[in-house]
Amino acid sequence: MGLSAPFDIYAAFNRILNNDQISTPLAAILALTELIENSDAGTMFELVKALNDGAEALQKQASNPISLNAGCELFIAFVTLFPHDSANFTDLKKELIRQGQNYATEALTYRKKIAELAFGFIKDGSILTHSYSRVVMQTLLLAHKHKRISVFVTEARPRGLGIKTAEALTAAGVPSTVILDSAVAYVMDKVDFVLVGSEAVVESGGLVNAVGSNQIAIIARAANKPFYALAESYKFHRLFPLSQYDLPSHNSKILSFPRPLLAERVSLIETPPHDSTQATNDASTPTSDKPDLVPPRITQEQISENNPDVDYTRPDLISLVFSDVGSLTPEGVSQYLVGMFAG
Amino acid sequence: MPVPTIADPPPSAGPKPQGQPSQKTMTKAERRELQEKQRAAKAALKQQPPQGQSKQQQGGNAGASGQQKAKVPPTPQKKSFGAEVSASKQHASASKDGGASGAAAEELTGKQLSHGLRIFSHFGQPKPVGHTIKGDIHPATIRLGLLFSEFKICGANARCIAMLTAFKQVIQDYTTPSHSTISRHLMTHLSPQITHLVSARPMSVTMGNAIRELKLEISGIDIDMIEQDAKKKLYDYINTYIQDRITTADKVIQELAGKKVKDGDVILTYARSSVVEKILLSAHSEGKKFSVMVVDSKPLLEGKELLKSLTNGPNPIPCTYALLPALPSLLPEVTTVFVGAHALYSNGAVYSRAGTAMVAMMAKANSVPVVVCCETYKFSDGVMVDGFSKNELVPLSIIQKNSTDRGLAPALHLETLNPLYDLTPPTYITAVVTEVGLIPPSSISSIPLALGKTSL
Repeated sequence: MGLSAPFDIYAAFNRILNNDQISTPLAAILALTELIENSDAGTMFELVKALNDGAEALQKQASNPISLNAGCELFIAFVTLFPHDSANFTDLKKELIRQGQNYATEALTYRKKIAELAFGFIKDGSILTHSYSRVVMQTLLLAHKHKRISVFVTEARPRGLGIKTAEALTAAGVPSTVILDSAVAYVMDKVDFVLVGSEAVVESGGLVNAVGSNQIAIIARAANKPFYALAESYKFHRLFPLSQYDLPSHNSKILSFPRPLLAERVSLIETPPHDSTQATNDASTPTSDKPDLVPPRITQEQISENNPDVDYTRPDLISLVFSDVGSLTPEGVSQYLVGMFAG
Repeated sequence: MPVPTIADPPPSAGPKPQGQPSQKTMTKAERRELQEKQRAAKAALKQQPPQGQSKQQQGGNAGASGQQKAKVPPTPQKKSFGAEVSASKQHASASKDGGASGAAAEELTGKQLSHGLRIFSHFGQPKPVGHTIKGDIHPATIRLGLLFSEFKICGANARCIAMLTAFKQVIQDYTTPSHSTISRHLMTHLSPQITHLVSARPMSVTMGNAIRELKLEISGIDIDMIEQDAKKKLYDYINTYIQDRITTADKVIQELAGKKVKDGDVILTYARSSVVEKILLSAHSEGKKFSVMVVDSKPLLEGKELLKSLTNGPNPIPCTYALLPALPSLLPEVTTVFVGAHALYSNGAVYSRAGTAMVAMMAKANSVPVVVCCETYKFSDGVMVDGFSKNELVPLSIIQKNSTDRGLAPALHLETLNPLYDLTPPTYITAVVTEVGLIPPSSISSIPLALGKTSL
């Protein structure tokens, strides 16, 4: 990409993302509008190419490409389909930039809309939420104004963003408790419904969200509790994961087995009894002829490296998706997406 | 160019009774009665020599011709069943004291048989290969009809392409009569061709869709247009249709579905679909390392062909070939199931080769994603809820040709039922790959609208 030297799209993206209110897809859209601003493209073809290159550069550098992709795709589709009959290409570029920025400003009001939609489904009682989501926060705070709610929030390891949610809620006066990710099934009978945000809503009507959402959805289904997702429409993504491992965020490192430093070393088996697990025991046959080796320590970093950031929740586990285009069933989401991009 | 036609033999085969006036003056009921009588007589004649139970047969036939007011099964084979059944019934009712348990058993089997026939009779018995030709049929159509009825051209895509190609020839050889215009007359010329093809084998959804589009195009021709130009226009239209809706669509599907094939995958497919074959071959040529399990089943054993083309050449795909009963043992190894489709209904149900539903169901039970590959021109506006309301039977000749052993010889009390298709409910399907992208089966109905089709 010839533009990368004068304009670093990733730096711009990170700068925009520093704004607490702006989510990843929006930041991507704004970064792309800045790219247009800095681009010297003279034709539509060049411009679209520059945008595609920029999007690609972003994806390469960003840690989690899914929601970023949703934003890039939306904006590029918008630019390509934009009626460009104006004789002056600079005018067109200005118009595109204006439209992009307008969209971003307007998109910030979406959360309010979603909160109002979801509010109708909230009654006095307990809610389970997962990790941290701006739109969930806004919804809960709105609900707190009119209803007596209490919130259970999962810790959401490895990033531990649930603690952030609990702190913010407690500060606002909402009774909230952080629960372990492993305690979801324990708490499920106490809650009325589950409310989660989203990284992306995909074409199957399913949900891509911080890891753990899928198991919460499965437990909620087993306990017959509704599972609601909140998603701004710019998070609708033209993606169809067939399984967890079909997500673009999946890589070979996730779920890989750590290789012991020495080839002959029997790993993990001599770990101190407090964290020796069942799984490792049957993974390798106990050969206790090397007792002098230092038992390997498993660090938090290692764990989070071998684990996914996001997972995919199947559409049949989701009760409703609240978005600024309305309260949609998962089928409705997929129909909306098909209508938006197909044809 | 004069089109050779084979004249139909005059319908009145049997000698007319003396006292009868001409058929025209008879009432409908009378004519039917006459027909029934003639047919019954013929069937009785046919059956008498080989079977030594002529007495029962005759009694049965008399009963049958008396009873069967509505529908007479078309082939003598079937007739003998009907006759047998009614005969055994009569027999059973005659010995009503119930002492003979053998008679009761006989009645049971008889009932089951008649039950089976009654349920599946609407599938239509496949016509014999050399069926008669009525009207002004183009040689290309006759040839195609033979290919269809012998299952030489079998798949939904292949049949549609072959039909359109034949129609190109028909249109080329067509001259508008002086008193009419092409937009009004061509369709009346094409209709018998279509009827002929349908009589060879029931029409596929793909052919129906293509014909509908073609009709629309024909009726839209300006009446002032010079005939040659109009033909050229139709010719181009057919070419574009094949190109856009089938060839290019397949390429896009290849690309989209190819993304779902990853290194180390084990792909399972059932029978043979041209699209799935292309997907696998193109993914393999991209250098992806995966293996394929071809699951197959009687009577057509189409998977063998797929297996041949996948393992052909210097760089074959590692394949496993298995029959349907082996499916449960294979599924735990499988990462994705790819199947083709004959048609897709608007409720998301997939109408495909018999056995597909079972594969999809089992894959779902093993939580293996099921991907259906299907071009949008295979979409049907209708709704199907089971595979019984509409289906097709595999002709006996084709089954015998495919199986080395004679299998179940047609016995008196046994008729093999070989439906050609079944219906996979949308709940068993993870995704449908079309040229407009991957879509969940629940959103199938919104595709025509998204493609700008305003009316059904």
